[in-house]
Amino acid sequence: MAEIQLRNVGKRWGSFVGVDNFDLTIADKEFLVLLGPSGCGKTTTMRMIAGLEDATEGDILIDGKKVNDLEPKDRDVAMVFQSYALYPNMNVYENIRFPLKVRGIDPATHDEKVRRASAMVELDDFLHRKPAELSGGQRQRVALARAIVREPNVFLMDEPLSNLDAKLRVSTRAQIKNLSHELAVTTIYVTHDQIEAMTLADRVVVMKQGVVQQLGSPTDIYDKPANTFVASFIGNPAMNLMDGTMSGGTFEAENVRVEGLHAPDGPVTLGFRAEDAGLGDAGHHEITAPIYTLELLGDATMVTVRIGGELVAVRAPKDFRSEIGDTVSLSVPASICHLFHAETGARIEA
Amino acid sequence: MASKAQRMPLGLRILTYGFVFVWFILAAFPFFWTFWGSFKVELDFFSIADWTNALTGERTKAAYDSAFTGAAYHGAWVQEEFWRNVINTFIVCFFVVCTSLTIGTLGGYALSRSSFRYTFWLLITALIFRAMPPITLVAGYLLPFFEWNVWGILPTTIIVLVAINQPFTLWMLHSFFQNIPKELDESAKVDGCTQFQAFRHVIVPVMWPGVITTGLFSFLLAYNDFAVTAMLLSESNRTMVPAIAAFLGTTYTEGNVMFAVAAVVSATAPLFILVMFFQRQIVSGLTAGAVKG
Repeated sequence: MAEIQLRNVGKRWGSFVGVDNFDLTIADKEFLVLLGPSGCGKTTTMRMIAGLEDATEGDILIDGKKVNDLEPKDRDVAMVFQSYALYPNMNVYENIRFPLKVRGIDPATHDEKVRRASAMVELDDFLHRKPAELSGGQRQRVALARAIVREPNVFLMDEPLSNLDAKLRVSTRAQIKNLSHELAVTTIYVTHDQIEAMTLADRVVVMKQGVVQQLGSPTDIYDKPANTFVASFIGNPAMNLMDGTMSGGTFEAENVRVEGLHAPDGPVTLGFRAEDAGLGDAGHHEITAPIYTLELLGDATMVTVRIGGELVAVRAPKDFRSEIGDTVSLSVPASICHLFHAETGARIEA
Repeated sequence: MASKAQRMPLGLRILTYGFVFVWFILAAFPFFWTFWGSFKVELDFFSIADWTNALTGERTKAAYDSAFTGAAYHGAWVQEEFWRNVINTFIVCFFVVCTSLTIGTLGGYALSRSSFRYTFWLLITALIFRAMPPITLVAGYLLPFFEWNVWGILPTTIIVLVAINQPFTLWMLHSFFQNIPKELDESAKVDGCTQFQAFRHVIVPVMWPGVITTGLFSFLLAYNDFAVTAMLLSESNRTMVPAIAAFLGTTYTEGNVMFAVAAVVSATAPLFILVMFFQRQIVSGLTAGAVKG
């Protein structure tokens, strides 16, 4: 049982702001993902919760108790490091047992707990190996087992999958999702990979340069990005964005004309997702432009055109074929469009 | 079999083997010569008439009926009680190594984990002190040591040797610690350790080969030191190296050169054993597998 409250938490090094005014309550058993590019303060936020970094401003509360001045060991958190940080002189069994040992938990229960944790991550056959004799994925699972062995209040995971190859990443991701469901422990997960965020999270916090950009469920963040940064960070491919002008409910840019929008006149940024749009037909042909490139994805064909210097991708049926340079018309109805303020990038609600 | 392209030309091969051979002779010959000579009498080993006497041992045969004699060892160890110097050396070495390593591991760890800027200047200061010849410090010590009546005894020498040694051990251990990822400490702290427990249970076991290597170097420094021990120890408390120097004699006193030769061989033997015993501990791939893969 652990509810984590961050009250206006901040981190400064001299005049450099690492994390600015972070205010959030993480519910018990929630899986929260901190998402953002490198240097956005997501790892720093997690390290402040772990107690590895001092918060220069604000309070951190775990279960209503202020923990700012507590050592990491007294916060009852477990952490999985990006680099695994296994103890190289101990074998897998001793690595997993270490937290039980240093916390003075009844030695009679150690064996059972270690075996249960290692079974959960399918490490039973490797208990007597040293970390150096394990593959990357196995090491990662040792780190997971070491974190779950003493059933902590809070799980912290710092980019646990970023050192794995693509295939292993998918299976380990599924394993983490399953584990978090079974253990039902409050989890904070840091990543720069938006797919991990979408698949794992109950709620996602998108950060940029120490400032929270948006907080919401993965669906919220995907369907209603709060600003152009979130729009361009989430999704694969990211949301198409193009600058143009509004006049009387019509958006216009080079080769583009979208009618039926609701926004004040003047310069705006219009965005839409590649999979929402399609090839033009008699009714809808908002974009008409020469093809810049054509990518075959197997299940679809991605058609890319250039609008005012920006690349705009649209998902077409998989049997669509054309030549680079041919003119194509694309359907971008007003219903799929998102509008953003031209200068601040903030979302304009219709 | 190596392909033709990878094989060295014959001339180059002869040159490299020749060079290694010459180097080996140059490096090892003095030891073998001294070892051989230590079983002769002085008139053979330092023969003015014919240097081959040192090989054949004419005078040794005449005196002891054999080409080899342990007379020099007997003289040094029994007559001159060289074993007292050996014990003194090991007392000095033991305490110097223990003290330097204790301060060095704790200090090196603290400096490697500190984020303060002054740690850099502390290390630079240490380097400057390391660069100074030890004798410059000894001259300054002499007067106060006489005044406080602590001159000539082993503890004083141990303290001075530790002081001379410490910058080096601090530097060496600091760089070892720097190679151990900080995540290991942090992981241990989250797992339930205090900073000191993390150091003791996680960092030191990983560091062990580094500690051994540093310990070996500081042992050798104490073991081989002449400048400090010769100036700071009274005649009754001498360690091996100043004792050997005393056997050689001075312009005022006549020494016994063969005692010195035997003592030198006695002092060198433990070093061979020590270095061979610890050679496997030389650090490599120390933290392989701890971080990434």
